Amino acid sequence: MLKKTAALAAAAIIAVSAGTASAARDYINIVGSSTVYPFATVVAEQFGKTTHFKTPKIESTGSGGGMKLFCAGVGVEHPDITNASRRIKKSEFDKCQGNGVTDILEVKIGYDGIVLANSKKSSPMKLSRKDIFLALAKDIPDPSGAEKLIPNPHQTWHDVNPALPNIKIEVLGPPPTSGTRDAFVELVMEGGGKKIGWIKAMKKKDKKAYKRICHTVREDGAYIEAGENDNLIVQKLNANPNAIGIFGFSFLDQNSDVIQGSIVDGVEPTFEAIADGQYPVSRPLYFYAKKAHIGMVPGLSEYLNEFSSEKAWGEEGYLTDRGMIPMPDSERKQMRNDVKTLRNLEM
Amino acid sequence: MESIMDIEGATLADNISMTLEQQAMASDQEAIKKKTIVSREDRRTVGEIYTEDPRMTCRNVNVHYGDNHAIIDANIDIGRNEVLAMIGPSGCGKSTFLRCLNRMNDTVEGCRVTGEITLDGQDIHGKNIDVVPLRAQIGMVFQKPNPFPKSIFDNVAYGPKIHGLASNKSDLEEIVETSLQKAGLWEEVKDRLNLPGTGLSGGQQQRLCIARAIAVSPEVILMDEPCSALDPIATARIEELIAELRKQYSIVIVTHSMQQAARVSGRTAYFHLGDLIEVGETERVFTNPRHQLTEDYITGRFG
Amino acid sequence: MQKNNSVIGQERIQKKLKQRYRAEKRFRRLGLFAVITALSFLAILLISISSKGYTAFQQTYIKLEIPLSHEILDVKNLANADYPGLVKASLRQMFPDVKGRRDKRKLYGLVSTGAAFELQDRIIEDPTLIGEKISMWVPASSDVDMFMKGQIPKNVSENERRIKDNEIEWIDWLQQEERIEKRFNTVFFTAGDSRDPELSGIRGALSGSIFTLFITLLLSFPIGAATAVYLEEFAPKNKWTDLIEVNINNLAAVPSIVFGLLGLAVFINFFGLPRSVPLVGGLVLTLMTLPTIIIAGRAALKAVPPSIREAALGVGASPMQTVLHHVLPLAMPGMLTGTIIGMAQALGETAPLLMIGMVAFIVDVPGSFTDPSTVLPVQIFLWADSPERGFMERTSAAIMVLLVFLITMNAVAIFLRKRFERRW
Ligand SMILES: Nc1ncnc2c1ncn2[C@@H]1O[C@H](COP(=O)(O)OP(=O)(O)OP(=O)(O)O)[C@@H](O)[C@H]1O
Ligand SMILES: [Mg+2]
Repeated sequence: MLKKTAALAAAAIIAVSAGTASAARDYINIVGSSTVYPFATVVAEQFGKTTHFKTPKIESTGSGGGMKLFCAGVGVEHPDITNASRRIKKSEFDKCQGNGVTDILEVKIGYDGIVLANSKKSSPMKLSRKDIFLALAKDIPDPSGAEKLIPNPHQTWHDVNPALPNIKIEVLGPPPTSGTRDAFVELVMEGGGKKIGWIKAMKKKDKKAYKRICHTVREDGAYIEAGENDNLIVQKLNANPNAIGIFGFSFLDQNSDVIQGSIVDGVEPTFEAIADGQYPVSRPLYFYAKKAHIGMVPGLSEYLNEFSSEKAWGEEGYLTDRGMIPMPDSERKQMRNDVKTLRNLEM
Repeated sequence: MESIMDIEGATLADNISMTLEQQAMASDQEAIKKKTIVSREDRRTVGEIYTEDPRMTCRNVNVHYGDNHAIIDANIDIGRNEVLAMIGPSGCGKSTFLRCLNRMNDTVEGCRVTGEITLDGQDIHGKNIDVVPLRAQIGMVFQKPNPFPKSIFDNVAYGPKIHGLASNKSDLEEIVETSLQKAGLWEEVKDRLNLPGTGLSGGQQQRLCIARAIAVSPEVILMDEPCSALDPIATARIEELIAELRKQYSIVIVTHSMQQAARVSGRTAYFHLGDLIEVGETERVFTNPRHQLTEDYITGRFG
Repeated sequence: MQKNNSVIGQERIQKKLKQRYRAEKRFRRLGLFAVITALSFLAILLISISSKGYTAFQQTYIKLEIPLSHEILDVKNLANADYPGLVKASLRQMFPDVKGRRDKRKLYGLVSTGAAFELQDRIIEDPTLIGEKISMWVPASSDVDMFMKGQIPKNVSENERRIKDNEIEWIDWLQQEERIEKRFNTVFFTAGDSRDPELSGIRGALSGSIFTLFITLLLSFPIGAATAVYLEEFAPKNKWTDLIEVNINNLAAVPSIVFGLLGLAVFINFFGLPRSVPLVGGLVLTLMTLPTIIIAGRAALKAVPPSIREAALGVGASPMQTVLHHVLPLAMPGMLTGTIIGMAQALGETAPLLMIGMVAFIVDVPGSFTDPSTVLPVQIFLWADSPERGFMERTSAAIMVLLVFLITMNAVAIFLRKRFERRW
């Protein structure tokens, strides 16, 4: 008897919800990058609390995963916005077009610095990108000067560069699935590899081999994949003063009492240095909105408005409190204008 | 009629295999004439298989548990208002045969029953026979007491309830009371009908199971060693009950006590290693067995 | 000769007896050791979590005096008034000496951004307050809260802490004036997620878990029990049922994320159910828990002595009645055990929910099975991954809530099991 009622109730629930499922959605559905997530959520919460609209729902799916969901089609069952810690790729754009997602608004929101940091218990590191490349690449150029590669022999930072302290190379960083890792190898490792003449020359001759040399991180234990949880890396740095961690600027910002940023190419990773572009390792952050959903999902244009307002992404805006590096004035103005006019993304 | 069939059966078997020695005592008839006894090697049933007015008939019943041939070609009738005792050494197939009678073996994995068993002329394996009411018609008391883990009252009331035998609560209470009284348990449990049946002593549990079986007023009652866990007083009570029940029902009782068989039954069947060896008037079987194996058993040469 | 034999036998028994007792003692000590080890690990876990998390049940509040002038608050347009401005003005009034943009920003940072929302709610609820000067306790910002809880040390150099010297001065002054105090953190139990630690609460995730597990229980228990009963009591034993059994056993070992992928393909892409809702979460977790429940259910049914079935069949019960009236009640405790194991698994699961979009930032507390929501372990995961320091204690507190939920669930199951348990 009880079971029968339960089964009936279950059937009823499924039937009812299946019926209402495809009807309208009254909240904004956002997916995408876990790097943008901490910033987008702040905007969403602010938006939810200061307007009569519901708070947008934000899923942290990663940039690629977000694009896939975003480009799947137009309609309430698909997300309205995807966040990305890189620009949309041509292949993704084409997929979008193929699925009817033709009108896309691209908004650059600011920058995220990638920092190397160690515990405050030891002294700050002064590194160049070339040092980092030589310390972390799987294969490095033969020190004798010949144009060939040898497996990375460096055990200590001193081996890499006599000016550096004699401590073991131990770098805690994100796994290959992470956007931070992509940015790290692209901006730091490749930036360091390029400093070596013949490797730079390879870029023109054999781009694939060039990428392979620059982007392959050593696997002998000097680089430790520490998972996606940056808080964990902070804790591990605290426990091991010799180790260096790689993560987004916001974590350094929030934990400046226990860890310190390493100086890269002579620049300290401060808010100002990243903002004016002196600090060499930063990447732009974006979101992409589906224009077809404006008017279909309540609050979408208001949300775009909130995100692109000075009080959010301005130099004194609440996003900077969270460690996002704002764009320069002129760029902000242009982006704001793009949002107002809903400029169509073309590739 | 009977005797003709017997002779036919015997000659048939004779033709199949017969040593010179056996030839002399092969037939049942001859055995009576010569006052000799069927030898141990001969496994055909001797005695009076048939009754005048059978309630149940079993013909060529064979039971296999996988490869184990547990009952071999058993033929027997169960008469109206008769108590049939089944005796035989442990493991000879008494329980197995008993369980064929209400198709309890259907529930045993790997058990195969062949042959014809009828109740009031109807094949109990027939297509139009529903096994559920059949089991209500042919009640059973198992070798090991197995009361439901419910109250004493519910144990007895369960059968009447599912069959709708009681129209109201007081009816039901009456059925429970009379059943318990018949089983000789009423006096002991009347003040604790709501306590669990599993909390009774072994002998009490067995009587509870008997009460449960008779509460659905079956027409045939199968009892598998109902008194094995009972003291002499309780045993006597059960025996009285059997005598009482015989007026209405047919009863088949498996027992290891030959005295009990002698006391309660009209006919006795002796099983040996899956063969039904001898059937006959209880008194006749105990005083004048016609098969060597029967004689061995009742004189205590084995078993 | 015979006597001799028995004497030797007795001696042997005596000798062996000592050995047997020794073995028994060894075994008992080993068992005790295992139990103590397990318990101490559990204790360490609980202590470390609660020592980190208990502070989250308190929250620092600051008392503000806020003049509600008619100029700023237009009764007709209360929704769009500048409430943050009111809060800021009140802070400036309290500390008139603070000058300069940077310092003012710091000053405003003493109280949570939630203060303005609380003020707004209060005024909209009672517009007659306009014109008066009200005093009101508002939540302090997370940094101040951390400082008050001693999680930001005072004795390190200024640039190494998030609370600077002048902020400490302000807090000291507030303390002197008795305008700052720690209170029980009701917000934690009434609010949904937030990016501000001091405004975040567990209620959204808790409701999400309750909705999700309700669906899971509602579906997985009857389906699991029915499957177990069918396979164990009614299905013929042949190679098809063997195949089914093997498959069910395999499913129990499949990584849970696979069920998430399946749920995504079937419920969201094929049936078009919405993403991130407890309904779909419950369905996915049902798929995941079913094998556990079926396997446990079958084991429980197997353990019911066959004599009970015979007894029921013997008085003429139908196979269905036999199962429902006798076998199932006896197997129920075992089935409940399996169910509770499955539900506990489901409660702690995040991987399959990732695929169906329940790993998300959701502020509004879900009110139905089709509102977007998240669940407790996901909330723990999200908070553990947040840069703000204040989320560290919330993470531990959320784990405590999860454990309490689990304990409650187990307690209910044990209670039910006790009711079903009978001797036979
Ligand atoms: N469920 C079963 N599966 C397989 N073999 C069985 C089963 N039940 C009984 N047997 C076998 O069938 C034969 C007859 O057993 P049965 O239980 O009928 O003996 P019994 O005459 O009742 O003995 P007892 O006097 O000890 O009760 C035995 O060899 C036994 O091993
Ligand atoms: Mg037996």
